[in-house]
Amino acid sequence: MSTNTLMRPMDSTIPVGWIEVEPRLFGRPSTEPLPSFSRDRLLGLLDAVSLTGRGGAGFPMAAKIRALRADAEPIVVINGAEGEPVSAKDHALLGRFPQLVFDGAQVLAEAVGARRVLVAIADSKLIEPLQFALRPGFELHRVPLRFVSGEARALVSALNGAAALPPGRRVLPVHHGVNGRPTLVCNTETLAQLAVLARTGASHFASVGTVAEPGTTLVTVTGSVARPGVYEIPLGLRLGALADWVGAGPSQAVITGGYHGTWLPTSDFPLSRQGVSAAGGTFGAGVLIFVGQQTCALAELTRVAHWLAGESAKQCGPCRFGLPALAGDVTDLLHGAPAAIERHLAQVDRRGACAHPDGAVRFIRSGLGILDSELFAHRHGGCGRPDLGQLVTSRAGRQWAA
Amino acid sequence: MSALVRSGQRLEIDWTRCDGHGLCAALLPGAIGRDDWGYPVVDETAVGQQSSAAVKRAVACCPALALRLARD
Repeated sequence: MSTNTLMRPMDSTIPVGWIEVEPRLFGRPSTEPLPSFSRDRLLGLLDAVSLTGRGGAGFPMAAKIRALRADAEPIVVINGAEGEPVSAKDHALLGRFPQLVFDGAQVLAEAVGARRVLVAIADSKLIEPLQFALRPGFELHRVPLRFVSGEARALVSALNGAAALPPGRRVLPVHHGVNGRPTLVCNTETLAQLAVLARTGASHFASVGTVAEPGTTLVTVTGSVARPGVYEIPLGLRLGALADWVGAGPSQAVITGGYHGTWLPTSDFPLSRQGVSAAGGTFGAGVLIFVGQQTCALAELTRVAHWLAGESAKQCGPCRFGLPALAGDVTDLLHGAPAAIERHLAQVDRRGACAHPDGAVRFIRSGLGILDSELFAHRHGGCGRPDLGQLVTSRAGRQWAA
Repeated sequence: MSALVRSGQRLEIDWTRCDGHGLCAALLPGAIGRDDWGYPVVDETAVGQQSSAAVKRAVACCPALALRLARD
């Protein structure tokens, strides 16, 4: 059973496809009645397949439900804010198959006794497809479109009518979330996966993937590839197999986990949280960017460093002042000048209310770590290559118009 | 070991409140330094060696109410 398909229907311009797996998330929506689960039965299912959150952190879904404060009716939030500019998987799911995502949210809400489901989106283009798909108890909410607004606590803050910023105190949405109620903030894909699990059972769910990480996952693939898009892949698919299918040219590096992620040399590691981690990277929300041989990788990195500085919410000093300093440092390196970048990296890492400074440090540090020959060339007059814009830093400049 | 460490408490900075006034660094020299932009750099081991009265004084003196003692 091996199907490789790429489709580009009329209703959306994000190409979606699947590789070496029968599509689950991008298949025809089921018309069977949605099964109902008690909290314990749902927890049993989630434990059986170790379903983890697909928004980036990879937290076990069952543990999140068990952590819910029990003395008040909970609220379920579908996190469709997808602040990372390159990621398009949640947009593709909500734009094409909202019923699958809503199925997952409904199963979850029934199991934990939640009567309200808030659908939080940042992109106004999703309003129209979603407002007609809403079910009883579902409400559509729009939050600002920026990198940090997709962070769960920032999202809760926005839904509470405050600024879409992460709070300085360590509050967990499962304890105090929307309207002070225990709140399950779930990534869009996580809920689609939960719907597949609820409809088809644990053994079908685990019939693909790895032993530790069963099932499929969505990846957004861009950069120097012939067929960019959002792909459903079995967890554990080799990077080489994916590169062949998407038509990746010779690459200087592959970036895993997007602009909070890691630059890696292109080796043939398995695409799972464990596999990417063993290769030294971060799986994050499944963004994979191939950096081709024809572009100036240091110029691309510098552009993203400036973009990351601009995405700072500017509420925490080390991020507000440190990210522009880092962007200045990499600009100096691009021009062959020395920079005190190690000192600045250390002064920014893990020194904010959210993970934005940590992610920016990871991205810049790992990039400089593998671009030795590039840095050498720039100290001696430059590498002679142009910045081809393979690392997109504006939502308008994506390889597709979402 | 100080009473602070024994009681399982830790010095925590609310980065959204901190404006880098620097009073904590002045009150706990050796335990709190400052980065290139004036924001506090906490040496947790050194803070643990301070008397809990000294640490509590630093918390109370923060003009931005950004410093607090948190339980792990």
